[in-house]
Amino acid sequence: MGKKYGPIKSGVKWFKILVAKIVFFVLGRAFQSATKHDPDIKKEISVWREGFVLIMRVLPNGPRMVLEKLNGRLKYRGAKYDDGDLVISFKNIECAFLVLTPQVGAAQAFAERRMTVKGDLGNAMIFTRCLTILLGHLYPQFICRRLVKRVAPMPLKKQMIKLVINVVGIPFGL
Amino acid sequence: MLPSYYEFFNPVKILSGKNALDNLPYELEQLGAKRPIIVTDKGVIKAGLIQVVKSAFDSSGMVIGAIYDDVPPDSSSDVVNQIVAVYRENGCDAIVAVGGGSPIDTAKGVNIVLSENSDDLMKFEGADRLKAPMKPFIVIPTTAGTGSEVTLAAVIKNTAKNVKMAFASHLLFPKIAILDPRMTTTMPPHITAMTGMDALAHSMEAYTCLQKNPLSDAYATAAIKLIAQYLPKAVENGKDMEARMAMANAATMAGAAFSNSMVGMVHSLGHATGAICHIPHGLAMSIFLPFGLEYNLPKTEAMVAELLLPLGGEAEYVKVAAGQRAARTIVLVRKFQQTLFDLCGLPRTLKEAGVPKNKLEEIAKTAINDGTLSFNPEELDLNDALNVLNEAYS
Ligand SMILES: NC(=O)c1ccc[n+]([C@@H]2O[C@H](COP(=O)([O-])OP(=O)(O)OC[C@H]3O[C@@H](n4cnc5c(N)ncnc54)[C@H](O)[C@@H]3O)[C@@H](O)[C@H]2O)c1
Ligand SMILES: [Fe+2]
Repeated sequence: MGKKYGPIKSGVKWFKILVAKIVFFVLGRAFQSATKHDPDIKKEISVWREGFVLIMRVLPNGPRMVLEKLNGRLKYRGAKYDDGDLVISFKNIECAFLVLTPQVGAAQAFAERRMTVKGDLGNAMIFTRCLTILLGHLYPQFICRRLVKRVAPMPLKKQMIKLVINVVGIPFGL
Repeated sequence: MLPSYYEFFNPVKILSGKNALDNLPYELEQLGAKRPIIVTDKGVIKAGLIQVVKSAFDSSGMVIGAIYDDVPPDSSSDVVNQIVAVYRENGCDAIVAVGGGSPIDTAKGVNIVLSENSDDLMKFEGADRLKAPMKPFIVIPTTAGTGSEVTLAAVIKNTAKNVKMAFASHLLFPKIAILDPRMTTTMPPHITAMTGMDALAHSMEAYTCLQKNPLSDAYATAAIKLIAQYLPKAVENGKDMEARMAMANAATMAGAAFSNSMVGMVHSLGHATGAICHIPHGLAMSIFLPFGLEYNLPKTEAMVAELLLPLGGEAEYVKVAAGQRAARTIVLVRKFQQTLFDLCGLPRTLKEAGVPKNKLEEIAKTAINDGTLSFNPEELDLNDALNVLNEAYS
């Protein structure tokens, strides 16, 4: 009998998928809350039409975060749709893990071609600016310095918004 | 320093040199094509360049399916659809673009619509949206600037919405680029100057933007060296074959560099100014380049200092103290601008270019939504953009 050859099924990175799911949930809720409480983010997304759908996902069939513009705000919609106006895709779960945990900033990840964008690039730029503000609400400045090109100052007003997003926005979806 | 990760891709076969064009029918045949459509514009026709292309077909037994010569400055989706119809009516099987960035990008759009067998170009906007294998596609540049003959990108105006759509896909690369000095000798001095400055902007931004890598660096510095030496010569004497050949090669190398490492704020501001005030792309590049280099300096000082060697030459590089080199590079870029102004009156400021001051705010708003800005090393918000525009105004 000769040696037998056959197909090998790929494994599953359960842990990293779980982490991505959790971060997407937190990010989605934070984004939703920020469109209510942060005037800068509110202003940025004001140009999006009602019903605008933004998706961040992991290829090929990984976790995703869906946000939809309803009543002038972004609403976190779990994994409701699989296509939208702006779809940002991580090429694989390792790329997503690096960005979401957050070891690498979005600009660097984009430059390194770790993500692809479907849709109008102008909307992608708007999203990037929102993400930069949002990261300031989620992480302390010393982490943000690693993630964004320039860390914006955090005046008292912004500190308050940060508090609201973290205390009621993320846990209760408000 | 090596980047932690990068990708580099440049699959275009280059034919460069005297009479390179004569190989066009052979290369088409190699690609399995028999009836190419030629996509070009009125300026190229007027310069008599299509005659040169036609004569390359003589005795080849091939048929030119059609010659479309109505491409407007900057490409548009309407024109793309018209050309698709002409291609189909005439049973063409390949695309040959003859011209500057406008006909080249238009031809890329045509290739998208034909290959994806769709009538809606917009569906493919963005990065990596194309799937279908493309039609054989050959580019013969007649300007030395955009590098579009070796890039994966196309910028096409959506006529209905009056916005510029950007396309990027590894499938958009032409199969072959033919650099024949006969095709650029007819360029008038001011077009030579501004398209050459586009190439300089490509190489300098490629060398300093976020996705720079050792391969793109090599192309970028080689391009800068040629441009520094030959662009003034090509502007001064359009018939200087050596200068024309050098600039064609430089533009192609700069294209290969930036197609991989991308460009930044000089292009963001340039695209926005072009869209709103209709000034030629290369002119905008020439005006914004020194300001972009200056603005990013806190993040890129060491890189800009290195550029003094290809730009200023060895003697200059050795003469200037290490700490002064970045600033000196920018001084030389401004001197270069001045040389081109003296030679052919190439505008140095937005004011000289006829940009109305009351448009600056609108330009700034558009610029910060331009995709190229994500690759810029330094953050640039609305206020920053407005400041740079005001500085570049006069
Ligand atoms: N795809 C890319 O990677 C890329 C990069 C940079 C710029 N672009 C695009 O390219 C376009 C600009 O291209 P361009 O700067 O080459 O200009 P162009 O193609 O618009 O040509 C400018 C003018 O020069 C004339 N001309 C061209 N060659 C000539 C010749 N040999 N003799 C006489 N006249 C000649 C043309 O008829 C036209 O009137 C812009 O739309 C820009 O957005 C694309
Ligand atoms: Fe350019």
